[in-house]
Amino acid sequence: MMIGLEIHVQLPTASKMFCSCPTTDAEAPNTHVCPICLGMPGTKPVLNKKAVECGIKLAKMLNCEIPDIMWFARKTYFYPDMSKGVQVTQYEKTVGSKGVYLLHGKKPIGITKIQLEEDPGKTKRVGDQSSLVDYNRAGTPLTEIVTDPDFSSPAEAREFLKQLITDIRHTIDLPGDGERSIRCDCNISIGKERVEVKNVTGLRNVERALTFEAIRQTKILKAGGKVDRETRRFDEERGVTISVRKKEYESDYGYINEPDLGVFHIGEMVRSISIKESPVNMAIRISREYGIDEKTAGQIVSTSVNLAKTFEAIAEATGSPQKAVSWTTGAISANWKAFEAAGKDPAGIVRITKRFADGDITDIEADIELKAYMTGSDIGTIKEQSAGLDQIVGDYLDSHPEIIDEIKKNEKAINRVIGHVMKETGGRYSSSDIVSATKGALASRL
Amino acid sequence: MKDILASLPGLNDKYSMFSCIAEDADLGDSKFLFSAEDGLTSKDMMTRCGSKMLDGHRPVFDAAAIEKMRAAGGKLIGKCNMDEFGFGSFGTNSAYGIPKNPFDLERSCGGSAGGSACAAAAIDGHVSLGASTGGSICCPASFCGVYGLVPTYGRVSRYGLVDCGNSLDKVGLISSDPELLARFLPVISGKDPREPTSCAQPELELKGERIGSVGVPEEQLEGVSKDVLSCFESSLDVLRGMGVEVKMIKMPSLKYALSTCFIISAAESSTNLASFVGMRYGQQEGDLSMRFDDYFTYFRTKYIGEEARQRILYGTYIRMAGLRERYYVKALRVRLHIIESYKKAFAEHDAILTPTMPFVSPKFEEIAKMTSDESYGIDRLACPPDVAGMPHISVPCGYDGSGMPIGMQLVTDHWKEDPLITFAKDWGKAFDVRRPEVSL
Ligand SMILES: [Zn+2]
Repeated sequence: MMIGLEIHVQLPTASKMFCSCPTTDAEAPNTHVCPICLGMPGTKPVLNKKAVECGIKLAKMLNCEIPDIMWFARKTYFYPDMSKGVQVTQYEKTVGSKGVYLLHGKKPIGITKIQLEEDPGKTKRVGDQSSLVDYNRAGTPLTEIVTDPDFSSPAEAREFLKQLITDIRHTIDLPGDGERSIRCDCNISIGKERVEVKNVTGLRNVERALTFEAIRQTKILKAGGKVDRETRRFDEERGVTISVRKKEYESDYGYINEPDLGVFHIGEMVRSISIKESPVNMAIRISREYGIDEKTAGQIVSTSVNLAKTFEAIAEATGSPQKAVSWTTGAISANWKAFEAAGKDPAGIVRITKRFADGDITDIEADIELKAYMTGSDIGTIKEQSAGLDQIVGDYLDSHPEIIDEIKKNEKAINRVIGHVMKETGGRYSSSDIVSATKGALASRL
Repeated sequence: MKDILASLPGLNDKYSMFSCIAEDADLGDSKFLFSAEDGLTSKDMMTRCGSKMLDGHRPVFDAAAIEKMRAAGGKLIGKCNMDEFGFGSFGTNSAYGIPKNPFDLERSCGGSAGGSACAAAAIDGHVSLGASTGGSICCPASFCGVYGLVPTYGRVSRYGLVDCGNSLDKVGLISSDPELLARFLPVISGKDPREPTSCAQPELELKGERIGSVGVPEEQLEGVSKDVLSCFESSLDVLRGMGVEVKMIKMPSLKYALSTCFIISAAESSTNLASFVGMRYGQQEGDLSMRFDDYFTYFRTKYIGEEARQRILYGTYIRMAGLRERYYVKALRVRLHIIESYKKAFAEHDAILTPTMPFVSPKFEEIAKMTSDESYGIDRLACPPDVAGMPHISVPCGYDGSGMPIGMQLVTDHWKEDPLITFAKDWGKAFDVRRPEVSL
């Protein structure tokens, strides 16, 4: 099975790719338009620099080769929502090519190319007989990422997309919702002929469309039939793909260089742009650098990139990545959301753990100080609370000694302690506090 | 100026230089009159590019060159007839009238900016804006016995120029008076943030630099008519008399300019013309309840003229996968080669000089008998500098036995319009330019 993806992402620029029309949602059709994006005779395009910056950032994120000189191309095809009868895209020198992107930090997925282009308008069917065209979207900057056919299953393609989208959002500050959706063309071949399922939106639908195709093609081949080379679309409601047009040969778009824009010397710009480390890459790096398992590293990073940074600071300060993991996944992550939202300084956290590492305070004291610092409450109150919690947990374990044995066999049995305490106290203590109190109690009983 | 305005309808009846004429005869504060090829957009007048396709099209903005002429006090008196979208060398491919040569009504004004040259020849002290892709200004200037100036590619903003071959198109000036070229080139030149290819230019300075030496490529004199050749040779004597050194040189690569120009302009224009499908502007006729591709086919078949349709087919063919390398990509490489051969020549000479056209303007009946190859071929002398993006000028240099004008064309290096303008002014003093008899 060979699967490859073509992913279209709208870039978060304020204005369109070649004119100054806004890219925000318009109140009415054909209001965010001007002579340029309507393709009126005599107009000329002027390139939006921000779109190029986004393209370069994504090319870097995908470890692509980026040329010193790039240019645009005209792709010709007739469609009512194509105001110029021509789409400005890239063909020969794209902003990036020959990249490689690691799925889960392990499996390399080849990136054929990444190109900048403009979105066409939208055609909306009205009733059976007519369509309306809205050019508000015409000229919105897009990037198209084309992968090599490196995926071995629909599930893997979905995993890739999930990771890629997280990274893209992080790299170019893409808003998470609204019209800036991500559209995907899925190419899949079980036998020799390749089928393209166009314009699938959403991770789940990508996997569904590919799975449906895989089964459909396998059935045809098993029955001794021949899979047609064609373009299909995905019907989300019914979960099936439907033939749109047969492809006897590759579409011929008659590419020429876009003569109104000229060539762009982007070498200087490429060197001056640095990208933020993507969450995925950060998790991989942390896992390798500090010798902790990938899953834990992934959990820390997905909670918050700043939490991961704090983890690194603690590991550096204390010299013990293992201890840093238990602090970070324990008391620190339990209180992280509110702490980060309040905009407090993680340096205080690092100081407390450092004092513990230096032997100035015990781990129980450090735990209490951390909670006090992160929640902004008084140390005395925390101590009282924590003593109260120790009491409840201790009493419960003493009256149910069988749970101690169960926990020794399977740590998940701690959930019973959590359930009990939550019920008794009406949720006064967080589950991570209960877990650490239980662990403390168990240690003293062994 | 009032007399001229009043005479326009009569003039146009006789010569068909305009596709439309300014409706209001009010001069207001206008300091001068000008006209413009119909490929340049104008707010107050239809812009139809000689095509039925754009009938009724009133742009919402002025082309940069028109805007600047107006800002300098100019009144746009008319939009000039042209070959549809710039496709043609005789002005005969227009849906709005064929301009007639003021020296002989039976003859062509040339093309594609035929109407502009016609207006420049027929109206006293007039200047007209034209556009050149491959000889489109110099050809009609030569046929109509006037001066035609094509600045360097990128010198004048193409904003508002309806594209023919975008990487070749230049906006220029046509006039019977070289002083007017000197006056208006600075007006229309300059960077325009709306048109990126205009933004790389150095500032235009007209400081009177003179041409001291010209190279005449021998190959370009082959196949030139006797009349044109003898006029050209006596002009060389006049030049020597003016102290200009004249040398015969070889530039064999110029013979590829015509096909290079044809291929690049066809490839580019066939994509430009893809935007004309009815539905949005211009001609609106047609049944929109048809399937969209049937509607597009119906509309384009009906409203695009014969020559433009052929160029679209050529242009589409040479862009096709498997063929684009052989034609389009190769033509881009040959263009670089031609530029290089000019650069080499400019190391030795200030300018390159040839006749502008191989013969005087033909009669319409002769044109009707020409094959496509013959009519494309007439621009072989005029088009090489257009391919190279270099500034050039056609100046009148003589008349044949029947009084038809003959022109010669000078080319200088990129951005060197100054010596061309100086030359035109000097030449205007040394050479007695004849004006046609214009009677109504
Ligand atoms: Zn716009």
